[in-house]
Amino acid sequence: MLTLLSMFYYICLRRRSRSGTRGEALTSRRAVESGQRATLPISVEVEQYAKEVLDFSSHYGSENSMSYTMWNLAGMPNVYPSSGDFTQTAVFRAYGTWWEQCASAPLPFRRTPKAFHSQDYIELAFEEPVYPTAVEVLETYHPGAIVQIMACSLNPFSQNPPTDVRWEVLWAEEPTKVLTPQARQFSPSIKQLSFPTNLIRVEVNSSLLKYYTELDAVVLRGQKERPILSLYKMPRIDICDLSDSDEELSDPGASSRQAGDGKHINLGNGYFDKLPYELIQLIVSHLTLPDLCRLTQTCKLLHQHCCDPLQYIQLSLQPYWARLSDTSLGHLQGRCTLLQRLNLSWTGNRGALTLTGFSSFMKACGGSLVCLELSCCHFLSEPCLEVISQTCPGLQELNLSSCDRLHPQAFTHISKLTQLRRLVLYRTKIEQTAMLSILTFCIELRHLNLGSCVMIDDYDVVASMLAVRCRSLRSLDLWRCRNLTERGLAELAAGCRLLEELDLGWCSTLQSSSGCFQHLARNLPCLRKLFLTANRTVCDSDIEELAANCPALQHLDILGTRMVSSSSLRKLLQACPKLLLLDVSFCSQVDARIVQELCGLFPNVAIKKSFTQ
Amino acid sequence: MLSVLSYGRLVARAVLGGLSQTDGRDYSLVTASCGFGKDFRKGILKKGMCYGDDACFIARHRSADVLGVADGVGGWRDYGVDPSQFSATLMRTCERLVKEGRFTPSSPVGILTSGYYELLQNKVPLLGSSTACIVVLDRRSHQLHTCNLGDSGFLVVRGGEVVHRSDEQQHYFNTPFQLSIAPPGAEGVVLSDSPEAADSSSFDVQLGDIILTASDGLFDNMPDYMILQALKKLKSTNYDSIQQTAQSIAKQAHELAYDPNYMSPFAQFACDNGLNVRGGKPDDITVLLSIVAEYTD
Repeated sequence: MLTLLSMFYYICLRRRSRSGTRGEALTSRRAVESGQRATLPISVEVEQYAKEVLDFSSHYGSENSMSYTMWNLAGMPNVYPSSGDFTQTAVFRAYGTWWEQCASAPLPFRRTPKAFHSQDYIELAFEEPVYPTAVEVLETYHPGAIVQIMACSLNPFSQNPPTDVRWEVLWAEEPTKVLTPQARQFSPSIKQLSFPTNLIRVEVNSSLLKYYTELDAVVLRGQKERPILSLYKMPRIDICDLSDSDEELSDPGASSRQAGDGKHINLGNGYFDKLPYELIQLIVSHLTLPDLCRLTQTCKLLHQHCCDPLQYIQLSLQPYWARLSDTSLGHLQGRCTLLQRLNLSWTGNRGALTLTGFSSFMKACGGSLVCLELSCCHFLSEPCLEVISQTCPGLQELNLSSCDRLHPQAFTHISKLTQLRRLVLYRTKIEQTAMLSILTFCIELRHLNLGSCVMIDDYDVVASMLAVRCRSLRSLDLWRCRNLTERGLAELAAGCRLLEELDLGWCSTLQSSSGCFQHLARNLPCLRKLFLTANRTVCDSDIEELAANCPALQHLDILGTRMVSSSSLRKLLQACPKLLLLDVSFCSQVDARIVQELCGLFPNVAIKKSFTQ
Repeated sequence: MLSVLSYGRLVARAVLGGLSQTDGRDYSLVTASCGFGKDFRKGILKKGMCYGDDACFIARHRSADVLGVADGVGGWRDYGVDPSQFSATLMRTCERLVKEGRFTPSSPVGILTSGYYELLQNKVPLLGSSTACIVVLDRRSHQLHTCNLGDSGFLVVRGGEVVHRSDEQQHYFNTPFQLSIAPPGAEGVVLSDSPEAADSSSFDVQLGDIILTASDGLFDNMPDYMILQALKKLKSTNYDSIQQTAQSIAKQAHELAYDPNYMSPFAQFACDNGLNVRGGKPDDITVLLSIVAEYTD
């Protein structure tokens, strides 16, 4: 009987070992034949370049162009291993701290976790899902911006996307200074994943860089089969658990124990509850949001403190974009009734947030909202903007940067927000009529960003309207506005006399010969930032007028003009003591030697001269 | 029994394959390039596909084979601008557009327009002008789509005869239509034609058709009968023989260009217009010679 059973057991074991993969069986048989130990099957390593760029937060180039745009990051490298400022690379919109120094920059949000440094991101889809062994980024100019690489469990090409989408951090580090602008292949050591991925997200922070970083390609190396080492299921470490449950919380009175003689020794909260309410509030105000949510679950007293709406006057959910969902918003809803500043940038994509969840949150918490950041929120739709316009009457700051899937009709609701002071519509599809309507009613506008708004037909009319209605305008970003002429600019200069920042980069229809830049300089004495990037007509007289009339000038970009010589630059540098940034890249009369000389004479000014070789 | 069935299957497949051979298969262009710059000292330093101020490109895409020739206008040299920069950048940009699939095979003017627009998006302030000729073979439809701006051009030769050719576009003598980027202030003075001014044409091609795309350095020095004579020597469709023929044509044109007694087409045209000249026309010569063949991966 026993021998029968043991024989049976032995046969079962043999069959089980044979029913492994055919490859395994073959190798083991071969190994047996050759008299060696059976080796594990060799996993095929797949190396692939990105197939498609799915989403990104910003880029330098024009919306229908292949020069300096994010779409260049897909496919094989065009420039690497050369270094230089080339059109075939992917370039983000900003670098350094220059934009943060401007008055148009938003105030930072409290409770931003120290580990969150990302300023921009790009999401890439690859052909085949693999278990990644390496991610290489080919950086061809001013490398060092990458701060985080993440992988997603979702296959963007699949017909039936699963409901639960997981993002894992493959690698993260704080921004470090890289001294050389030369090209490099960046390949950090990445974490092992327990699921195959073909959707990679790269997050960057360019604040330590001396010039725009440029990326050429991303290589994903991985194995098709799950590597042997990670056969055990990786514990899902949720560093952010925003959904707490209203379970039974321990009673302070329960934390007592029986002493030897039967008397209760009431330990209470360790004298914690003797502290004044405001002091505990102050202590708790230093915690990051996940810690705050975890602390809520400890005891009734801390639950009361952590759910106090005073802790949620500013709420930044951007660092937790990967895990935010309708349920999380629902849980936070009750505490955010005094909410004034809300950052939902980057959140809610791929179905994580819906109109229902968003509108219920806004209806509960939007009443006192003053600042709303919704950059790259692709879940937004026209009804969402309608909800915002209804529930946030006092809204002063609205950021819809890169919400390029938002229907043009949606922007008409913004005109109901008559208290608006700061409006960012970078890379949106807003149209002329909605824009004019907004300018008619939002007369308090101080900061307006219309960069790369390609659907606006006539910028002269927009400028004219600004001059008439928005006279308190302080900063205006018209980056790549394709049909602003000297008429519009003249009206703008006449009407918005308080203008401090003006970005006219790549506005090719402005001709210096019309005198528009000189007129601008004479009429805007408070000018602090002026970008005339790639306006090939900027000449010496324009620079001299700026020197004579704009002593407060801090940032000036005159990239790509052949008509400016070093003498007028010298005058400018002498006349504007506050100048911090001067970009003379591709100005043919200003060569490296002149730049070096000027740097020596004016050490406080960062003079930028980009190169292609 | 089984072998009969499998044999039958093989025969059926072969027959069906033979029937659908000419209709279903994709076409492709087997292309070789050759050229001579007018100034030898410049020619050596340039990267490939640039001959003096001429530039060209050959690009493959899943849906089409595309060729392009651009002749940089030499007059810019007098103003301190390198004429080869514009043509070379234009051709490289068009090549990249094709490789990335940002084009429609039936609209070569679209490639030219997008290419020109991209030149304006470059941080580097480009100056200069050039002609342009773009030839696109749509693999599936077997159609050749072309566009020509200026005095470069193409010939399609079938059975020893020219069946299609491009027309020269000139404003006045020796001043072809040209795409240009002028320095600020000089826009009124510098000739600048829009890509839409290019001549477009589309026609069917057959296997074995020879397509010769070249800059005016070839056509101004070699009349048609000489070109056809040289093409008669082209026997097979493999790359090496095409390369040899392209080289011999370019060389012949180059030699004729420096012959002071030869009555070149250029000299003939000048005489017809009252200018008493003789001899070849020294110029940059670019020759792209292609044969329509079946598409192999």
